[in-house]
Amino acid sequence: MDNVSFQTTVLPLSDRLFRLALRVTMNRAEAEDVVQDTLLRVWERRSEWRQIDNLEAFAIATCRNRALDVAKRAGRNTVPLDKVEGSHLSASGTQRALEAREQLSLVRRLMDSLPELQRTIMLLRDIEGQSYGEIAKELGISETQVKVYLHRARTKVREGIKN
Amino acid sequence: MDYKYIEQLLERYWECQTTLEEEAILRTFFRQEDVPASLLPYRQLFLEEDAMASEHLGKDFADRMLQLVRQTGQTQAAEEENPSAGLRLAEGYVCKAQRLTVMRRLRPFYRVAGLVALLLGIGSAIQQSFTEEDEASVPQMAEAAHIDSLQHITISSPVEQSAALSPHTSDTLNAQAR
Repeated sequence: MDNVSFQTTVLPLSDRLFRLALRVTMNRAEAEDVVQDTLLRVWERRSEWRQIDNLEAFAIATCRNRALDVAKRAGRNTVPLDKVEGSHLSASGTQRALEAREQLSLVRRLMDSLPELQRTIMLLRDIEGQSYGEIAKELGISETQVKVYLHRARTKVREGIKN
Repeated sequence: MDYKYIEQLLERYWECQTTLEEEAILRTFFRQEDVPASLLPYRQLFLEEDAMASEHLGKDFADRMLQLVRQTGQTQAAEEENPSAGLRLAEGYVCKAQRLTVMRRLRPFYRVAGLVALLLGIGSAIQQSFTEEDEASVPQMAEAAHIDSLQHITISSPVEQSAALSPHTSDTLNAQAR
C-alpha cells in the first residue's frame, strides 16, 4: 500500500460510511460530520495501514463508534419517520403511489425502531450486501451473533408488516 | 405463474438462511410491478432498502474533503519544516498546540529559586569572611593593650605616682599622719 492517495483509497468509502452514520445518528448533517471525521482519521493513520488487516472494516468500525457517540450525546436511538431526512420517494398523484408511500413509511418506521445493532446489521447485510463474516469483523462480534441479531431484526419487520 | 420458489426463498430469507446471491434474486423479483397479492406487503421492504441504498452525500462533499486533506497536508509539511513556529494558512492562523509538562510549567520558579539560593550563598560567604576577620583582630588588640599597660607601670616612678595624686588627697593624708 505504498502508492496511496486520499482520492483513490479513502474517499470512495464516503457513501457507505454516510449510510451507516445516517442509520445510527438518524440525522443527515450529523452523519456528514461523522463521515468527515472518520475519513480524516483514517487518512491521518495511513502510516499504520500496514498493520491494519482490512482498511474498510477499520473505517466502518471507526465511523460506527463516532456515530454512536454523536447519537448518545443527542440521547437518540430512534426518530419518527417524518423527522428522518433523505427519503427519495417521489410524490405521485396516483392512488397506488400513495399507498406505496404509506407502506414505505411503515417499513421505514419499523426499521428505524429497531435497536441500533440490529439496525446496523440489517443495513450492512441488506443494503450494503456484506457477508456475515465481514459484518462480524467490522462489529467485533461472532458470525453466529450477527445471524441472531439479523434474525431478530427481520422477524420484527416481518411481524410489523403482517400486522 | 408459480411463485413457490420465491416464497421458499423468502421464507429462508426471514430465517437468515439465504446467500447474498439468493437475496439478490429476491430483490430483483420485488422490483418488478407484477407481484402477487400474497407477496405484495413484503415488496415495500425491498423497495425501501433500495431507496436506502441510493442515499449518498452531496456532490460538494468530496471537494470539501480534498480541500481539508490538502490543508492538513500543508500543515504537516510546514510543521516538519519549522516545528517551533506557528503556521499561517490561507484561511487564517493556525497555532501549534504544545503540551506543557509540570516541570516545564514550574521552570520560572526554578529560576527564581536558583537566583535566591545563589544570593544567599554569596551573602553567607561574605558574612562568614567578615566574622573570621573580627575574631582574628580581637586577640591582637588585647595583646597590644596588655603590653601598653605593662610599659606604663614599668616606666612610672613612685614620686610621679604620688605627684599624680590630687592636693586635696595629699592634705588629707598629712592630717592623718599628724
